[in-house]
Parts: sequence; C-alpha cells; structure tokens
Amino acid sequence: MVEQFQSLPAPQRGGFAAALDSDLLHAFLRSRITVAAALITVVLVLAAILAPWIAPHDPFDLRQLNLLDSHLPPAWLADGDPRYLLGTDDQGRDVLSTILYGSRISLSVGVLSVGLAAAVGIVLGLIAGYAGGFLDALIMRIADVQLTFPAILIALLIDGTVRALFGAQRNETLEFWVLVLSIGMSFWVQYARTVRGSTMVEKSKDYVLAAQLIGIHPATILFRHVLPNVIGPVLVIATINLALAIITEATLSFLGVGLPPTQPSLGTLIRIGNNFLFAGEWWIAIFPGITLALLVVAINLLGDWLRDALNPRLQ
Amino acid sequence: MMEPVLSVRNLRVEFPTRRARLVAIDDVSFDILPGEVLGMVGESGAGKSVTGTAIVGLIEPPGRIAGGEIFLSGMRIDNLQPAAMRRIRGKRIGMVFQDPLTSLDPLYRIGEQLTETIATHGDLRGARLRERAIALLSEVGIPAPEQRFDNYPHQFSGGMRQRVVLALALAADPELVIADEPTTALDVSVQAQIIALMKRLAQRHRAAILLITHDMGVIAEAADRVAVMYAGRIVEIGPVRDVVSAPLHPYTRGLMGSIPKLDGGLDRLVQIPGSMPRLTAIPSGCPFHPRCPRVFAPCPIHRPELRPQATAKVACWLYHPAPTTEKETAAKLEGSP
Amino acid sequence: MTAAALVRAESLGRVFDVSSPWLTRALEGLPRQFVVAVADMSFEIAQKETLALVGESGSGKSTVAKMVVGLVPPTTGEVFIDAMPMHGRQRGAERRRLRRRIQMVFQDPYASLNPRWRALDIVAEPIRAFGLAARRAEIAGRVGELLRLVGLDPADGSKYPHQFSGGQRQRIAIARALASQPEFVVCDEPTSALDVSVQAQILNLMRDLQDRFGLTYLFISHNLAVVRHMAHRIGVMYLGRLVEIAAADALFRAPRHPYTRMLLDAVPDLDMSGRQRKPVEGEIPNPIDPPKGCSFHPRCPFANARCKSERPALVAWGAAGPVACHAVEEGRI
Repeated sequence: MVEQFQSLPAPQRGGFAAALDSDLLHAFLRSRITVAAALITVVLVLAAILAPWIAPHDPFDLRQLNLLDSHLPPAWLADGDPRYLLGTDDQGRDVLSTILYGSRISLSVGVLSVGLAAAVGIVLGLIAGYAGGFLDALIMRIADVQLTFPAILIALLIDGTVRALFGAQRNETLEFWVLVLSIGMSFWVQYARTVRGSTMVEKSKDYVLAAQLIGIHPATILFRHVLPNVIGPVLVIATINLALAIITEATLSFLGVGLPPTQPSLGTLIRIGNNFLFAGEWWIAIFPGITLALLVVAINLLGDWLRDALNPRLQ
Repeated sequence: MMEPVLSVRNLRVEFPTRRARLVAIDDVSFDILPGEVLGMVGESGAGKSVTGTAIVGLIEPPGRIAGGEIFLSGMRIDNLQPAAMRRIRGKRIGMVFQDPLTSLDPLYRIGEQLTETIATHGDLRGARLRERAIALLSEVGIPAPEQRFDNYPHQFSGGMRQRVVLALALAADPELVIADEPTTALDVSVQAQIIALMKRLAQRHRAAILLITHDMGVIAEAADRVAVMYAGRIVEIGPVRDVVSAPLHPYTRGLMGSIPKLDGGLDRLVQIPGSMPRLTAIPSGCPFHPRCPRVFAPCPIHRPELRPQATAKVACWLYHPAPTTEKETAAKLEGSP
Repeated sequence: MTAAALVRAESLGRVFDVSSPWLTRALEGLPRQFVVAVADMSFEIAQKETLALVGESGSGKSTVAKMVVGLVPPTTGEVFIDAMPMHGRQRGAERRRLRRRIQMVFQDPYASLNPRWRALDIVAEPIRAFGLAARRAEIAGRVGELLRLVGLDPADGSKYPHQFSGGQRQRIAIARALASQPEFVVCDEPTSALDVSVQAQILNLMRDLQDRFGLTYLFISHNLAVVRHMAHRIGVMYLGRLVEIAAADALFRAPRHPYTRMLLDAVPDLDMSGRQRKPVEGEIPNPIDPPKGCSFHPRCPFANARCKSERPALVAWGAAGPVACHAVEEGRI
C-alpha cells in the first residue's frame, strides 16, 4: 500500500536534471556530516590525482633534494622555511609533497585492490549462488577457511610467498602489484557472500525463468539479468572497504613489507617518521598520519551514509 | 436505536511527501452497529487498508489523520495519546491481518502468545488464564486444543494459523474487530470455513466487524452491509444484497460486471477502461469521471456527496440533482459539450 | 491420440528430494524424504484450444506448467510438442526451434520483469535471442507493434517496470511472450495478483489474442470462475494428480468427482441466491506424507473402505471425460 504513495512517477526531464531533483540527493544534502565527509574526500582525492602539478617540490627527484634543507620544522615554527610548508624529513624532502604523492600511492593501491576484490568476489558469488550444489559448497568452504585468517595475515602470506619466489630482486612495479594482489585477495570473501545471497534470491524470480525459457545462456543470464540487481550492496561494501584497504596497505608498509621507501605511501611515511618522533621531529610522522586518518574517516562516513540511504530503496 | 460501536465522521488521511500532499482518504464517514459486519471493498490504492490502519492509530508518519473524527462506542479515539491508544488496541479493538505467517511470532508457542494477550488486557492469572486460552482455541475450531496449546506457529497449516490469529484478536473480548484481507492468502476451500467462523464469532460476542477486502465474493458471503471505495472515497454504501444484485454507482456496476461468474460461459467480461488513478493525479470533480460510461456535464467539475437512494447511499450525479456553476453555464453558452 | 493435438503430456511425474543435508541425517538417523509433486499426468491439448488446470496449493499445477515448457525436467514421463519430445536429446538448432514455439506468462507481474531493464529490452529479448530481427530500428519497430497489440503506447518502451501498474506490467509480460511468435503459451495464474477490473481487461486481451493468432493455451488457475471464461476443457488436480478432466460445459453442469463438486461449491454466491456455502472439512494434506489409497478420502463424504486402501485410476466411465473415483465407478454418486 505504501508503495502507492511513495513511488511517484519519474520526472520527464533528462538525466542530470532528474538527478538534481531526486530524493537521494536531497537526503544527502540534509546530512551535514556526510556533505563534509564527501567534500574532504573529494579534496584529498583531487589533491592526490593532481599531485605532480600542485606539489611545490618533487620529493623523488634526487636532483632537487638539498641535504642542507633537511630536518626543517613546519613553516609557522621558529626554524621553519616558507618554501617547505610542513617541514622536511631527514633527506630534505618536503613533507607536504611527500604527503601528496604518498596519498596518490595509497589511493591507487586502495582502489585497485578493492577493484580486484570486488571483481573476484562478484564473479565467485554469482557462480556460487546460481549454480548451487557442489560448486556453491566448494566456493563457500574456501571462503570460510579464508575468513578464519585476519586479512593482514593473508596479505602477509601472499606477499611473503611472492618475495620468496622472486628472491632478492626488488622490482618496484612488481612490488606494487604484489601489494594490490595480496590486499585484494584478502577481501573478496565479503563480496562473494553478499552477492551469493542476493543471487539466490534473484535466481528464483520469474524474470530469470523467462530468460531460461527462451534458452539464454547461463553466463548471459548472470551478467545481464542478475548482476544489475545484486550490485547495489556491493557499492556500499566497496566504499567502506576502500578505507580498510588503505589502512591495510599503510599497516603493511609500516611493517616494512609493503612498498619500498623510494615509492612511499602514507604508511611508509609514517614508518619513516616514526624513527624521528623521539628526536622531537614530530612533523614527519604526524602530518601523514592526520592525512591518513582524515581520508579513512571521510570515506567510512560516506560509506555509512550510502548504506543507510540505499537501504529502503533497495527493498 | 442502538449506538454504533464504530463511528467514523469525515475522515481525511494525508501523506505529505516532498513534492505534494497526497490525500489517501477524503471525507469518509460510516457507522458499524454491534454484531454487524461491514464490508469495505475496493481495488488496490482505493484506501481501504488505510482506513483500517487509521482507526487503530497505526498510520506511519509522515502520514497523518488530517481531519474528521473517529468514535468507539461514543468515545473519541483519533486524538488519543499513543499510550492510551495502545491500551485500546487489543482490548477494545482486535485486529486480523492478511498473512497468518507473519501475524504470529514464530519463536513463541501459540499458547504463550494467547495467554500473553489475555493477561495484558484482563486480570486472569495462572490456571484460569490457561483455561480461557484453551477455551478460545476450541471456540475457533482448533481440534485437541490442550495439545496444540504448546505448538509453534509453523506446526499449523495456513487455515489453522488464521484461526489462531482470530483467537488472538478475540482474546480480550473486543467491541470491534478489524480484519484486513483475512482470507486472501488461504485456499478457496479454507476461505469458506474462516468466513463462517468469523460470522459465528461476531454473533456470539456481539462484536462489530470491519471486513476489508478486494474480494467481492467474500463480502457477499460474510457482510451485512458493504461500502465501496474508489480513490479514497466511499462511492456507494448499503445492504450487501442490494449493492451486489442491483449496484447503483457506475463503478460498482463495472466492478460487478468484471467479476467472472460460474454461469458466464466463454463471453467477454465487462471491462472498465483505464485504471484507478494514482494519488498524485486524482481527477477533479468525481474521481471516477474519466472512466465512467455515463459521464455528463457536472461530473468533471463538482464532487458528488453520499446521498440516500433507495436502501443505499450513493455519490453520483446520476441520482441527485447536480449544481450548475458559472463555469458550466459559460461552457454551455460557448457550445462545448 | 487425436491427430490435431499440439501438446501431449504422457505420464508426467516429478519427485523432489526434500531430505535434510546428509550430515544432519547421519547424525540424527533420519531417512531420506521425498515429495511427489506430480504423478501420472497425461493430457492433450488440441491446436487453438485452451486447457485449464485447476487446483489449490499443493496440487502441483505450477510444477506441471514448468515441466511442459521445459524449465524443470520430469522424473518420469515426457511432454510432446507437435510429436517432438521436450526433454529428449536434440541438438542445438532443433532445440531452439522447439523453444521458439512455446512461451509462458507468469503469475507475479512484479517479479516477471527485470526491474533494471527497460520495457523495450524486456520485450525485445526473445526477438534478439531467436534472431528474428537484427537492426535496432527493426527491433524497435517490432516492439512498438507488440506494445500496441497489448494496449500500451510504443513510447512506453523507454520506461522501467516500476513506472507501470500491475496490469500494465502483465501486458508487457504478454507482449514479451508474443515476441517470438509462439504457437503455444502456458499461463501460470496470470491474473491472480491483479485487481478484479484489471483482471477482466487482461483476460479479454488474452482471448482476443488467441482468436487473432490462433494460440493454444495451457491455463493454470485456482479460480474456477476465471477458468469458466477462458477454457474449453478443464482438468482438476489434487495433490499432484488429475482427478477429473472434462469439457467446460460438462464440468460445470455435472461435476462428478467429489473434489470438483467441493471446489464448485466453494465459489462464492454473487447472485445472492441465498445458497448456503457448505464449508468442507479439513485442508490439503502434507504432500510428504499423503493419505493411503485415494488422497482425497479424509475429506470425502463418500469415502468407503476401498477408497482408503486403493488409489482410483483416471478412467472414462461412459461418454463423459475421465474421472478418478471409486464412488463414480461404483455408481454410488
């Protein structure tokens, strides 16, 4: 009955105008925290993307580094230098620039690993939910086994194995992708389970039967019919997962098994800065830490809101 | 002259949304006498379920009662505080909903659910409480009630569960029972059993029943009077025999004609063109006029009121002199039809 | 077998395994459990004819529908479409040709259309699947024609299902069913979820389409009055078996099986003739543990000792259609 009252006919105007008027946008604008979170996320992401253009220095260009400028505190303190707004580290690298480049790396690893996890999880979830029987049991048992291990442990396992395989060669690009792989493969289970549940519900609906009736191939049914209907919750999980992936990467880098120092992410920066905390040079660790915290909290809040906002409409 | 158990006067229920204020029920009035079964029939979106929900004060915000009054045995109940309404609900008004599967809590034995309801609204305790519960189960036709007292809902079939729900509704001996589509989810052979049971119980307990359904057949069997709803308004109300065999309002006529009958044979069914208007687009004047085969001048402009006609009341300009407005006269002078 | 039979079902049966998972069974020593959803169903449908299968919940009529269209493989028996077996071992092209001749309209208008697809794509799917048209313009043209055929506006093709009412959605479902130009359409309770006035529109539409395109219908329903308006012949099902099958007029004029009589008696009296509905005792038994002998005997006013032990066969007694009842055979009723 309530459906009659709430579902008004869609406006006849085009896509963007319609989106501007939608209930979702209005709900979004009404929550100030969410708007703030979204703004912060956008700012940080844009800053990261545009790093090569807006960073005052290139911290990885050895020619630009000046050892004499090392260990400088932030510009507003006594010994500060206005050229290095947030200070410099022990190698003379500008902290602000390293944060910008570091966010770039953190976000890339985060987005790519979430993308990998989602892809693997969705495909396995679809197959498990649709096929049922032995295939479903097999996939779910593997998932269960993996869930008994903390994500970090799995990431460490994969990472360590690959390093052992490739020995002492420290190829930077390889390490980047190994990191993406290990984080991604530690997170796929959540997607698989959600998608499997939704697939099992959709599988018995008549529109799937109608497609089976005319002999449509199961793979086509899965990707063209079922997938659009089960993808909703995945979006929410992915958003919250992104924050977790970034933290995981930071943890791994902090532990020293993540990215090499020549390609530091926010986590690596914190690790490097950690060594200097007791020396009183707090800015090398604190600023990257604040950035990381802001990014993660903002993304989490956004994901939370998305889940709540999409929930009644998903039903 | 008996006092009505339920008296609804000019009830109006609105649902404010961001774009507009939707009127779900507009100016609905009716009475139910003790021991009487009033059927409320209409198609989806007509507002019959909302009427039932409004009476028990369970309209979900932002929906609200925007006008009119509801009286239960002379006492006004639409403006009560939630706590007071909760006391009335269950004790003086019993409710039966469509799906017996979800009306009963699957985690508790039905005996427990029954005794809980009786205890909440009365002062029986202990053994007397259990006795009363078993007596109720027996009254609604559950065989071997002492054993079944300890069963869980899933151990009952659909028809049996609906009987338990009826027992729950009657547990506190209410004056009024509101049944919203009580037989829709049941098999046809079980429907007849439940309808007969409801009528019997109404007689015995002198309770009034508001029977809400879309199924005219159920109304014809169970109700004494029937109110036909369309787009949130009552278009016709009268004794069931008269409304069913000689409907006055063109919508009721169309409705009766579109119901397939056993002696119909392979002829075409009467069909009303179009569909019930959405709440966002209720036509002006008489809401049925765009689909009415007998529409004429006053219909799109003036909204007809329920007025007596023979044994019933009907809201239609075919039966009562229609007012003419300046708009109409002007239209006539210009030569438009 | 009549020469003109387009559809023929021969001893169709379907058993479902509803046992607990093997671990539970092993631990608790439970036996395997099976439900006989359908047993021994044999019937024919002539071209341009409508056969209705009527029954309440648990009668197995939906399972029969799914077996006839090939969605569910039968445990026993076979379905023949124009003498070709549905579940036989045909190769791809032959299978496709067979598939093209059959279509289905489902009960729930809210679940039978993909909520993420536009109406145009939903109706066009069979056209694309069977390669009946290739270019977008041609497909759009055909879809427009089909939408107009079912009483909708071709411009509605760009809308999503949630923008339509229940009756309109069912029209889209019918348009989809007609898109592949089938000969045989199985309708599984197509109007049960619709309001009465909308039901009338849809039933009339289906009749018109049948007349226009010479369609053959298998019409599943629990509502005898609806079936009255649609069917030439009617089969009554109880707990997975046919108990009576007859021409519509004959069935309504002179029902023989006690269950058929009970169903007819349960139809509400809208003529206000004052006929007292005689509510019959009992409910449908649990299909996991059906009664011995004739499965209707616990509720039958005419049951005798033979009924409790021996299941009656579906046999024609005299000129009328077949009935499965000892009492009818013995001339007791």
